[in-house]
Amino acid sequence: MSDAGMMVEIEGVSKGFGSGAARVEVLTALDLEVPEGRLLAVVGPSGVGKSTLLHLVGLLDRPDGGRIRLDGRDVAGLDGEQRAGLRNRMIGFIFQHHYLLDELDALDNVALPLRIAGAGAAKARARARELLEAVRLSDRAGHFPDMLSGGEQQRVAVARALAMKPRLLLADEPTGNLDRANAEQVFEMVRDLHLLAGLTSIIVTHDEELARMCDGIFRLAPAGARFEHV
Amino acid sequence: MSAELHLARRYLGGLRRRTHVATVTLISMVGLGLGVLALVVTLALLEGFQSSIRAELVARATHARVVPAEGRRLVDPVRLASVLHEVAPGVEMVQVVRGTCLVSSATDAVPASVSGRSDVLEVGIDSILAGRLMVGVGEQIQVVAPRQRMTPMGPLPVRAVAEVAEIRVPEPGAEAGSVVLPLELAQRLLWGEPVVEAIELRHLADPWRLGARTRAALTAVGAEVRVEGLEELHRPLLLALALERVMIFVAVGLMLVVAALNLLCNVAMVAAEKRVDLAVLAGIGLPPRSLRRLFLALGIAIGMVGAAVGAALGVVVALVLDRTGALPLPRGVFAAASVPFRVDPAMVAFVMAVALALAAAASWLPARLVARREPAEGLRYE
Repeated sequence: MSDAGMMVEIEGVSKGFGSGAARVEVLTALDLEVPEGRLLAVVGPSGVGKSTLLHLVGLLDRPDGGRIRLDGRDVAGLDGEQRAGLRNRMIGFIFQHHYLLDELDALDNVALPLRIAGAGAAKARARARELLEAVRLSDRAGHFPDMLSGGEQQRVAVARALAMKPRLLLADEPTGNLDRANAEQVFEMVRDLHLLAGLTSIIVTHDEELARMCDGIFRLAPAGARFEHV
Repeated sequence: MSAELHLARRYLGGLRRRTHVATVTLISMVGLGLGVLALVVTLALLEGFQSSIRAELVARATHARVVPAEGRRLVDPVRLASVLHEVAPGVEMVQVVRGTCLVSSATDAVPASVSGRSDVLEVGIDSILAGRLMVGVGEQIQVVAPRQRMTPMGPLPVRAVAEVAEIRVPEPGAEAGSVVLPLELAQRLLWGEPVVEAIELRHLADPWRLGARTRAALTAVGAEVRVEGLEELHRPLLLALALERVMIFVAVGLMLVVAALNLLCNVAMVAAEKRVDLAVLAGIGLPPRSLRRLFLALGIAIGMVGAAVGAALGVVVALVLDRTGALPLPRGVFAAASVPFRVDPAMVAFVMAVALALAAAASWLPARLVARREPAEGLRYE
């Protein structure tokens, strides 16, 4: 089943929360393949499991059943340390809220994945400066998150997601908290960086207009999932 | 600096921005600090009293005693003395005999323990015996030995009449009266010949090791003797002092345990407050073991600051109270004029190590829980 060109392969994945009568099945026997280099939008109503899907692909959670492969590698048997290592080296995350650490300035927030990977402070900061320049925030390097606007915070988060030169970018409603102008700016930035770095990207969004700017749309609904080419 | 230590440092530095966590963190530090302070001051007080007791013991008591391995007579005490002089130059040696005699005055007669010592020139009785016989300095007593001698009138007990030259303070715990005689007089009464039953040694330069040194020297020359050092001679007192120290440490140390429980709550609160941050950190690749280390580092850092400040304050308080004599003692009851404090650096270090160990233990549980959580749990919580 593994294909050299597939970055993400999901086969029959299920995930539910709670137990007994309170149990809710969010994803049931879901299949999805994302070829390398594609920019895929995941859309659907609230509660349908978009973020859960992203968490499973990003190794932030474990499925109840089914199989997930990243770049042809089955991730089921990986322990916590191995999953963390893979997240650090291979996957970049952008969340709906920026989730920058309040105690670190923009530069240190961007440098953090590199520090976790074992890079020295000077090297990590040098790379972080390059990334802040790429998201046009080099003049904000010493600012803490609460000193940045919403759009700027999200751009710092984009820079952090790209710090380790990941191959897979996962974004969970990255423009959900932004006004139209900032949303388009951040989305375009993500799309440009996706193209520039040759990433495979999955973006969860409610915004149909932005979704249509992607290579494909994966539409999740309570009745089932459906893939659309744009 | 590793990523987790870098983060722990920044978290502690950033606590100013989150006042409720900062307040609880401060309370944890103060709690640990107070516990350490209380332990340091209490142990300094205890050490002050105990060291004055030990100093009194060294100043007044016998440091080592040489007795026969079997029987009551020491073989060749003169040779033993010359060996000991070589081992510990300047050592004070007293030859001793002991026994029980009937001691009488004009009004009464009572049994009393009798000791003859080579360093005593005049007869002394303790205040217990003086009270029973109703005699004072300058009055005569008769000491009748259990030994008998043959006379033309048949066997008669050996006895001596002597003038009391000194009324002594009784030995601690003594109930029967006692008489101290010059050695020759006691030998005549108890043995009828110049027998020595024991040699008592004092060496102020090295009192605590005198027993071991004496034992080694006399064993080397093949002397058939038994040597008791300061610790064997005063074992009950020294054991009581050690037990007192342990019990006080445990009792006051419970304060540290309470402070550590408070620290556990604080670290757990930081873990709850930073739940999303921790999920994001895990999301960008911080492994579970580093998350565990991050929280251990936080707890230990809080413990370290609390313990260091508490220990420093404790040392200062103890030194100030000792130097100024701020806590006076009733005159005539204690040898010291004020409550003595003595800071033992090893004990301070030990207290700090215990505080740090408790802080690490208190951080371990929240650290373990944080490390076991899947990152998505923290994100769903948000």
